[in-house]
Amino acid sequence: MSPLLAVEDLSVTFARNGVLSRLLNPVPLPGFNVIDGVTLSLMPNETLGLVGESGSGKTTLARTILGLVRAAAGRIAFEGRDVATPADFRAMRRRSAMMFQDPVASLSPRLRIGALLTEPQVIQGVPMPDRRAAAKALLALVGLPSSLVDRYPHELSGGQARRVGVARALAMKPHLLLADEPTAGLDVSVQGDVLNLIGELKRELGFAAMIVTHNLAMIRHVSDRLAIMYLGRLVETGPTQDVFSAPMHPYTATLIRSEPIPDPRRRSLRPAVTGEIPSVFRRPAGCEFHTRCPIVRERCKTEAPAYRPMGTDRMVRCHFPLQKGGQEREAFSHASVNQRGN
Amino acid sequence: MSGSLVASDLSVRYQTPHGSVYALRHVDIEAHPGEVIGIVGESGCGKSTLVTALANLLPANAHIDGSIRYDGVDLAKLDAHRQRLLRGDEIALVSQDPMTAFNPVLTIGDQLVDFQHHRNDLGRAQKRARIAAMLDRVGIADAERRMRSYPHELSGGMRQRVAIAAALLTDPGLLIADEPTTALDVTMEAQIIHLLRELRREYNGIIIVVSHHLGVIAELCDRVYVMYAGEVVEGGEVDAIFHDARHPYTQALLACDPARFHERLDRLPTIPGSLPSLTQPPPGCVYAPRCNRAFAPCSTIAPPLVTLSASHVARCHAVTR
Repeated sequence: MSPLLAVEDLSVTFARNGVLSRLLNPVPLPGFNVIDGVTLSLMPNETLGLVGESGSGKTTLARTILGLVRAAAGRIAFEGRDVATPADFRAMRRRSAMMFQDPVASLSPRLRIGALLTEPQVIQGVPMPDRRAAAKALLALVGLPSSLVDRYPHELSGGQARRVGVARALAMKPHLLLADEPTAGLDVSVQGDVLNLIGELKRELGFAAMIVTHNLAMIRHVSDRLAIMYLGRLVETGPTQDVFSAPMHPYTATLIRSEPIPDPRRRSLRPAVTGEIPSVFRRPAGCEFHTRCPIVRERCKTEAPAYRPMGTDRMVRCHFPLQKGGQEREAFSHASVNQRGN
Repeated sequence: MSGSLVASDLSVRYQTPHGSVYALRHVDIEAHPGEVIGIVGESGCGKSTLVTALANLLPANAHIDGSIRYDGVDLAKLDAHRQRLLRGDEIALVSQDPMTAFNPVLTIGDQLVDFQHHRNDLGRAQKRARIAAMLDRVGIADAERRMRSYPHELSGGMRQRVAIAAALLTDPGLLIADEPTTALDVTMEAQIIHLLRELRREYNGIIIVVSHHLGVIAELCDRVYVMYAGEVVEGGEVDAIFHDARHPYTQALLACDPARFHERLDRLPTIPGSLPSLTQPPPGCVYAPRCNRAFAPCSTIAPPLVTLSASHVARCHAVTR
């Protein structure tokens, strides 16, 4: 089967285009690589989780794939065809959709829900004999009462606004859904609702999904594969279950290890890493994670590791990937305490 | 001074043009020096109102019934001046958003000097020395240089550390942390949790941690109160809440947390239904419309707070059945 979406060596550069910078430097300075050499693919009906901390470039990557941010280099292919020109991206966006991070802010406050739901079809010039009926059908699809067609976005609850976001994204029956933090800011009891809805519609309508998130606890239940980003680069990809049960990149292990555990009997003794994510403006030399890596060695400080395959379906960017049952793994194991007060 | 905090039968209602909103109803909580108390619940459960009431920062349209006693003094009965003194001196709040907690046009050092306004015995140089020591203690390297930084020059995690330092500089007997890690990344969250755990060893006041994140509560707290729709529905030792929850809402909330399941679930558990209206709270149990164990009295008679053990209480008819 050929992939629905293939991204090859994609890079995004943000220019230093401040007035002062231009005056002081007649020869323009090179820009900052916000996304650097990302290669990934998505099969039809697959769900990929794109995971990283703030500033890792995961949202920018999603936006670049849909042509909302211009790539500096690399190739995007959708359904086997190269997507390069603005016309290509427009055509691609007819068959793909994005759920933006803030559901209320992404709905125009002056339009009623009915108009918002049918906006994609109007923009894409899809004939629609009865806009109102089409909007009601979409509301029914995501399990909302049809009386909402005449409401304004501010009258919705957070969960309802997400459902409207899902309906809007699926209005054009896309083959690809990009969801940017689909559950950020939702309570756990509502988060499950929104994810179950996306899962059901996926089975019913059949589309591939890329879910951008920092929520590991959630993504392990909804994704087939995971891609972990750090400073605009992929550091590890693989099947979700494998990545969680045996992370290979120390950063992945760190993320998993840092999640607070909702069990007071398994309190962790110490944080997995110190320090914070460096800025893309000052990328560390060598391996970019070496400044925080618990198992850093000399080689990591000078030589950048290649992104290389490990087995059939995993990739990792590390000189010393963690082995199953290896000693280094202990640096990440959940040292637990049973007594209180630690 | 560091005394106990006891809220009894505390109710707060807001007067709005659309009628009264009963944001907090008959809440009983207590906290003793040296304890870390967790308050957990989803949006709309009243945890922010409770914290605001404890810090005495409720807006003018709020009407309070019941009492909040701190070290034997009823906070609601103090005049505005004494309340203000108490806030600066005894009660400190670390808020959710570390960006907006600071004034953007003053340096960190200047702001932290102001936080010590109650220490008339100290000169400016002494105050700055205290700040440097405190920043060092909360894990900020190069404290002298950081004191000359403006808030926007610090990362989110560093700002939250500074906010904690600011709170501790006032030597509070009661430190309230409202969603202290919600705005942070997971690696930074783990570091802040670790910092709060370290600090509590030398700190003998009360720490109240408010969060919707069950993991944060489990990692940090000794005792936990679970809130739903303006009521405390269950309270107890952290182990009892997480391993022997008795209220159907607590059980449902725990069951919803995907972090508790390691095997992939095809459907994530949810709590069907929605919060009751707080302008007209139901006459019976607030959770009855969504409860899978509701029986006849639940919809008509408000359940009492049932004592399950010395430290474990639940507001539910079904627990005694």
